[in-house]
Amino acid sequence: MDERVLVKKAQAGDFEAFVSLVDKYKKRIFALARKGTGNEQDAEDIVQDTILKAIDNIDKFRGDSAFGSWLYAIALNQARRHYGKQKQTELKPIEEYVPGGKTVSHDDLNLFDWRDPHKVLESEELKGVIDRALAELPIKYREAFLLRYHEELSVKEVAQIIGESVAATKSRILRARLALRDSLSSTFEVEYGKKLSGLH
Amino acid sequence: MGKNCQDYIEGLNDYIDGELDAELCSEIEKHLGKCRNCRIMVDSLKQTVTLCREGKCEELPESLQNKLTSAMKERWKKKFPDKA
Repeated sequence: MDERVLVKKAQAGDFEAFVSLVDKYKKRIFALARKGTGNEQDAEDIVQDTILKAIDNIDKFRGDSAFGSWLYAIALNQARRHYGKQKQTELKPIEEYVPGGKTVSHDDLNLFDWRDPHKVLESEELKGVIDRALAELPIKYREAFLLRYHEELSVKEVAQIIGESVAATKSRILRARLALRDSLSSTFEVEYGKKLSGLH
Repeated sequence: MGKNCQDYIEGLNDYIDGELDAELCSEIEKHLGKCRNCRIMVDSLKQTVTLCREGKCEELPESLQNKLTSAMKERWKKKFPDKA
């Protein structure tokens, strides 16, 4: 059934319509929250709080955005409550991730070639490395990155959900991606080094 | 990376995601042809997203599913008492 029809029915008190509406999102919000918080219990709480909040406010949904975007926005607010008073660090400016930038001379630096990280780390170890790198990202970057690439939403949809302009959202996503790359690169370089020294 | 790498970094995400216009796209590709560091940058930025997507389809734990269903019913009764 069309999402708009389901919304109308749910707003009129049809519980089954609401269940159909949230059905396809609850698994995705759980996976997103788990990646975002790195904690299964927190992810469970976020899913439940999000859906209950959506019930409380279903009559306020006017259909200006897709139902999913509205639900993600609620989930983000719930997730932010769970992050609590996590220290809000800032990422370095974009140009500093690039050799030849302000702090790195391109003459002095050859970027480390990742090749295939699966060849140096078992899949569970690799998952742990990714989760830790994600957890190190400041929240506002982490959520923009995950909405864009984990949920595969467009930049415009992400901008709508996080309440920023498209340009600011693009920049946030790029900085998140560069910071993650940077962090993973350091880890992979060490792991390749260990593997090589183990061979000799 | 040569002296122009800085000029391309802002467009790299759009380039990798296939959202860059053709003209800038071919400019970046020309640069990539002669810049090893930028090729590594592009490859590792692509892998960053691929790795984060791995193992994405997680099932909802059964305990949560059960808890959620009863919590939703309860809340719905409060929201729409005349529909209960």
